[in-house]
Amino acid sequence: MKKNLLKKIIATAMVGIITLAMFAGCSKTQTPDNTQGGGKKTADGKITIAMLPKFKGENYFDAVKIGAQEAADELGITLLYDGPPQDQATNQKQVDILEGWIAQKVDAILVSPNDPNAIAPTLKKAQEAGIKVVTFDADAQKDARDLFVNQITADATGKGLLEAAARELKAKGYGPNKKANIALVSSSGTDANQAAWEAAIDKYLATEEYNFMVIKNKETDVYYPGTDETKVNAECATLISRMGPGEDQIQAAIGLSSMATPALGAQYQSASKKPDANAITLTGLATPNALKTYIKDDEHPMNAGMLWNCMDLGYLAVQVAYQLTKGDITTESTSVNAGRLGTKEIVDRECVLGDALIFDKTNVDNFNY
Amino acid sequence: MAKKKGFKLTFNAILFLIWLFIFAGIATISSAFLSPNYLINVMLRNIIEIGMVALPMTLIIIMGGIDLSVGNIMVLASTLGGLASISLGSGPAILITLVTGLVCGLINGLVIVKAKISPMVTTLATMYLYLGISRGISKGSSIYSYDFATFLGNTSLFGIPLQIWIYILLAVIFTVLLSKTTLGRKLYSIGLNENATRYAGIDVDKIKLFMYVLCGLICALASFIWLGRFTSIKFDAGTNFNMKVITIVVLGGTSINGGIGSMAGTIIGTLIIATLNSGLTVMNIPIDVQTIVQGSVLIVSLIAYAVVNSRAKKKKLIKIQAAPKQAA
Amino acid sequence: MVQEKRRTASFLTTEFYLTIFLLAVLIFLGIFAKGFYTINNIMSILNAYSYTLIAAIGMNMIIITSNIDVSTGALVSVVCFASAALGKLGLPFPVLLPAAMIMGMILSTINGLFITKTRIPSIVATLATTQLFQGVLPLTTEGSIYDLPATFTWLAFEAKIFGIVPASVLMCLIITVIALFFMRYSRFSKKLYAIGNNQNSARLSGINVEKTIIITYAIAGALFGVSAIIIATAGQRVTTTMGSGLEMTLIASVILGGTSTAGGSGKVLGTVIGALILSIVSPAINYLGISPNWSDAIKGAIIIISVVVGAAQYVKKKRVIKVPAGGIS
Repeated sequence: MKKNLLKKIIATAMVGIITLAMFAGCSKTQTPDNTQGGGKKTADGKITIAMLPKFKGENYFDAVKIGAQEAADELGITLLYDGPPQDQATNQKQVDILEGWIAQKVDAILVSPNDPNAIAPTLKKAQEAGIKVVTFDADAQKDARDLFVNQITADATGKGLLEAAARELKAKGYGPNKKANIALVSSSGTDANQAAWEAAIDKYLATEEYNFMVIKNKETDVYYPGTDETKVNAECATLISRMGPGEDQIQAAIGLSSMATPALGAQYQSASKKPDANAITLTGLATPNALKTYIKDDEHPMNAGMLWNCMDLGYLAVQVAYQLTKGDITTESTSVNAGRLGTKEIVDRECVLGDALIFDKTNVDNFNY
Repeated sequence: MAKKKGFKLTFNAILFLIWLFIFAGIATISSAFLSPNYLINVMLRNIIEIGMVALPMTLIIIMGGIDLSVGNIMVLASTLGGLASISLGSGPAILITLVTGLVCGLINGLVIVKAKISPMVTTLATMYLYLGISRGISKGSSIYSYDFATFLGNTSLFGIPLQIWIYILLAVIFTVLLSKTTLGRKLYSIGLNENATRYAGIDVDKIKLFMYVLCGLICALASFIWLGRFTSIKFDAGTNFNMKVITIVVLGGTSINGGIGSMAGTIIGTLIIATLNSGLTVMNIPIDVQTIVQGSVLIVSLIAYAVVNSRAKKKKLIKIQAAPKQAA
Repeated sequence: MVQEKRRTASFLTTEFYLTIFLLAVLIFLGIFAKGFYTINNIMSILNAYSYTLIAAIGMNMIIITSNIDVSTGALVSVVCFASAALGKLGLPFPVLLPAAMIMGMILSTINGLFITKTRIPSIVATLATTQLFQGVLPLTTEGSIYDLPATFTWLAFEAKIFGIVPASVLMCLIITVIALFFMRYSRFSKKLYAIGNNQNSARLSGINVEKTIIITYAIAGALFGVSAIIIATAGQRVTTTMGSGLEMTLIASVILGGTSTAGGSGKVLGTVIGALILSIVSPAINYLGISPNWSDAIKGAIIIISVVVGAAQYVKKKRVIKVPAGGIS
């Protein structure tokens, strides 16, 4: 009995000490990367802007963060940055993070939602708490945000991607007289931006210029592998094995997420019997760094990739959120003076960064993100 | 018996102290955390669904079972309910959600009881099955909330969200069920020695079946709140949900081998996880560190239980099946 | 003699009906899934199959001892990322492979030690270590490792036997053959089954249970490491979550192969077939023109039906000598 009591006391003490130690550790690790501290905002009057990507730990949002940090340093504000891990890019995780920020009363929230509708109630809650809400990269429901910083219009993305594929296909002998089957590798299926791009692609596929390209069966030729790297690789491998010159095969694959396009490149490269590079083409959205090896390889059917300047996107997003907080711009404004990017137009509460960046082997080395 | 009771009380007291430590720690570091609004509307409101499912899960684990499919039962129930609400309206949607939960639980229970397949294998398989059905039926897109779910997820009663009241009610019912009824006693008995219980003339199969069905029903109930709170749900929303629930139950001192555990422990476990989740978020600790902290808390409590239990266990009846706990 | 016969018969049934099922599916696919039997598709399936099977063999060993490991996915992520960090330095595959095996072994041994020393049930213990493994990566680095050199992607891009078969398949074949013999004839494997059947009697019969379990986790860890290096080298970029969720696929393969999570039974051959069936599902339905949204439902249905059918054969026998359905397993 006595020994029992002793053990209990030891256990309690142990638990207590370790819990406390953990907290000490936490508060320590928290201080350095958070020197500007959420709670201290009122003391030094610094503006705090919190940025929530769809997920973190992948080239695309890493590059966005660099640009965002640059703007934050320039403006002398605090930037908080957190997001779900890549394999758990769900709305629930995003909401958890947002609620912490709302409670701290940050000044503005920048968010790239995984699901435009599911996140809306939380964003509205933030707005009610007096926090400015700006979406970037992907939009949310229009009434749940103040402004949307769009990298490029969906229309331009859809057209750009199809143009890149069409150019290659035509060079390889396809055209109005010889139809080509195309497949898309999208993301999770609920992202607002991918959905808008797919719609734009559909629209342009119906035009005379691009109607030699067809998506034969939407059920099987549009892939939604999500954001998990291993799954994306596995589904891209299946897609590559379906590619070739035949009528029931697929001639062009377009990646719509920054995971999908590199996976297409890698899976082509590792295919045992590579589909004839003269009969097929691969292209899509990705950061230049992720595609470098494939684009520079002459025997690889991936010759060009498309993106926008991610760092500028982060920079612009923070600029817009900052000026919205300061009152320099309102939701009614028609333009914003975005620091080193010059003046950007705002149309219908949407600020567009600019044009697509198409990179091929001539310029892929000029980018480093 | 009296000795055992005293021991248990101390145990939950320790757990309660840990919670106080954590709570006080976070409250002193972050001022935003301690606002009543945050505590009630964020911290408690966010844990309700997990906490709710942890209640029947405690019963299942005490009787030596496990249910890995809970998260996906919730998603399937909301998916079918949400779809039904579009074409049939709210009434049928409510019914379909509840029936889905019931049927899912019944399938789990029947396979476990009739085919005599271990609960882990069964619910692992049905986890895939329910996930897959939700994904297939919803075609991978989100399912949206309807008036009843929105009502349950977003209404406040006397300044406290409705779902917290529901949780309190359920917590009371389950606590009474486990500690004051013969059914509760039988659950412990099944967990300690299923065969002996069977020979004692207790219809073990019926009780097991009932527990899995109950768990399915509570999942369906929680799914209304979930759907209402997020306004929409996607097929993958239930991923990792099972592990979160099991973490809470185990943190609350319930032995995964069955036979030991209390509802109060689970409730305190729920509070600890809620505090950690929301507290660390408000302190701007990156999500990765939060994972580590939660893992560490779990490990520390597990070791603490192991230390305390190893002595108490030896005195208890020799259990044949709980081999890992046995000393040579 | 009678008993011997019965054992042979039951051995035949579990793997036998799985094989029949597999053959039926393969014939069905040959008729209805146009283009399924192209070299590319077969090889891409085999490549995914090889990393699943290698890890599943490790998981099978763990489950035979009536333990489990739910941290595998997180463990593989850690090994993938660490291997990529080494690969970035230009280290060739012959260095990366043992490095990954050692890393896997170390992490898995931590699991084994934790389970045996604290006597915490493995499912809970590995649940806790999962969170540690998951959290540690993003702490050490920001984002991903990309633009990895050709020495790193050598396995996936260049290493082809006869220019066709990926080297990963050969690795898998070698490991499978070794495992088949090891699990059938080695003294060590006898210990595993003994521990899985009844830990106490195994202890009483002089087996060092703790040591055996730790070694099992270490071997399994090395196999997870091999699996991780195949996953990591698939492309020239490695992110922090590669391989996450793998544990569920592994456990499903093992269970489908007829291994009981109660421990003490299960053959490598079953796992070999189980993993193959699960690896075929996703590509097969894509070729059949079914939406990939149904793949998980089909996997779940296959597992549950096969487990129920498999159990139906034993129910009669079990009624005679009732084995306690102990614990959660």
